Amino acid sequence: MSHDRPDIPEILATLKEFTRGVADKTQGSERYDALCAGFLVDVVKRELACVEAQDKSQAQRLTAITGQSGELEQLYEAFCHSVRGGRLDQQWDEVFDFALQQVIDKVAVTKPDYLLPEHQVDALAGNLKK
Amino acid sequence: MSVVVSSVADSLEGIILRLESAVRRRLGSDASIANVDVATLGASNRTLLFDLLDGNTTRRLVLRQETYRSPVSPFLSPHDQYCIHQVVHSHGLAIPEPIFELDETDELDRGFVVACIDGETLPKTLLGDSAFAPARSCFAAQSGEFFARLHAIPVAELPFLADSTDSIDPLNAQRQRYDSYQESHPGIEVGLRWLENNRPQRRAPKLIHGDYRVGNLLLDHQGITGVLDWECAHQGNAMEDIGWLCLRSWRFGRIDKPVGGMGPRSELYAAYSANGGETVDPEEVRWWEIFASLKWAILNIMQADGHVRGERRSLPFACCGRNAAMIEYDMLMTISGRFQ
Repeated sequence: MSHDRPDIPEILATLKEFTRGVADKTQGSERYDALCAGFLVDVVKRELACVEAQDKSQAQRLTAITGQSGELEQLYEAFCHSVRGGRLDQQWDEVFDFALQQVIDKVAVTKPDYLLPEHQVDALAGNLKK
Repeated sequence: MSVVVSSVADSLEGIILRLESAVRRRLGSDASIANVDVATLGASNRTLLFDLLDGNTTRRLVLRQETYRSPVSPFLSPHDQYCIHQVVHSHGLAIPEPIFELDETDELDRGFVVACIDGETLPKTLLGDSAFAPARSCFAAQSGEFFARLHAIPVAELPFLADSTDSIDPLNAQRQRYDSYQESHPGIEVGLRWLENNRPQRRAPKLIHGDYRVGNLLLDHQGITGVLDWECAHQGNAMEDIGWLCLRSWRFGRIDKPVGGMGPRSELYAAYSANGGETVDPEEVRWWEIFASLKWAILNIMQADGHVRGERRSLPFACCGRNAAMIEYDMLMTISGRFQ
């Protein structure tokens, strides 16, 4: 541990407590802003826990679909460019499955309860809930 | 690329002073304003409610000021919105009566003043409060009737709408906006491709509201009292309005009630046809619902873009960027047939 306490989870928990306190004491747009801030703190917590595994898995699938390698952002661009140009229409099911999984990964970080049970992943543990 | 209009940063006191001057220039020096409330700072407008005191009469009015401008803005100019209010109101539809348009002398930037209609807009209240149960029970049918009457207005009465990108090709309009944010979303791209490969047949263009849904409608306990927010109006396929209203996001969790979380599709479709609307093809509506998801996701990306670029820093707009994923999820699940 190269940094002192509080560690990142503790810092995030502290921020979350703060936003909850502000939301409890305010109304209208101020309360809404506090709720939004709390939501974003939760997003950070879940993303830190699972982003590495998600990125690695997506990069592998994109390399298989597009035949290209590189950083994830470059692979996204290559995928999107090919989909736009119709060059992946012949492998639509594979393309669709990847896009859905990529979106599921994002929702698992943003609002995991929004997903259908079969898509829900415990983002903090990286395991299927079921 | 986009700008926050300068008057948005002005103090409320300054706006009120200039608004009173604007009112007096048009209605005489005896007119004054009172009881000013800021209703919202929405995606493209600031809404200010105020009382107009003129002699012995008091009238509640609404100032709408533009807050966002961009070459790829999906929103009509205030002038165009004002023209739409004039035409639609003249046909007797329940929309705010246009009172006057701002001009340069007013120093309030671009906007207009309309009459205030009583009613509730908050989705949580409309969908949850038992007092609104009668309004909920007739919402789908009332919406069908409103669409039929709106779509019957000759598009020639608003000729400038024919030139908007949404009128020319709504799917291409979304693609252009999405491209302007320079992000790569595999889900959005797959949605665009599916929509391109499954385009519905063209229909004769109608006047489309473009953002008719809970949140932009005023309701009292008995039903709809007013239809607001005309900044997305354009010419297009009549099914577009129907698909937008049935978007999953506008059901606010009541997914078993596709029409705004309040009613069944059958009542919407039947009322639409009974009041002179075209025959509704459910498959075509499904295409427009998928299109609606795409459009709503891109609008959320737009809000986050304004936040990230620093043009419109806002915690809710920051959340919009992450909320886009849920809308992409709805879109892909609807394409797959899992969501209805």
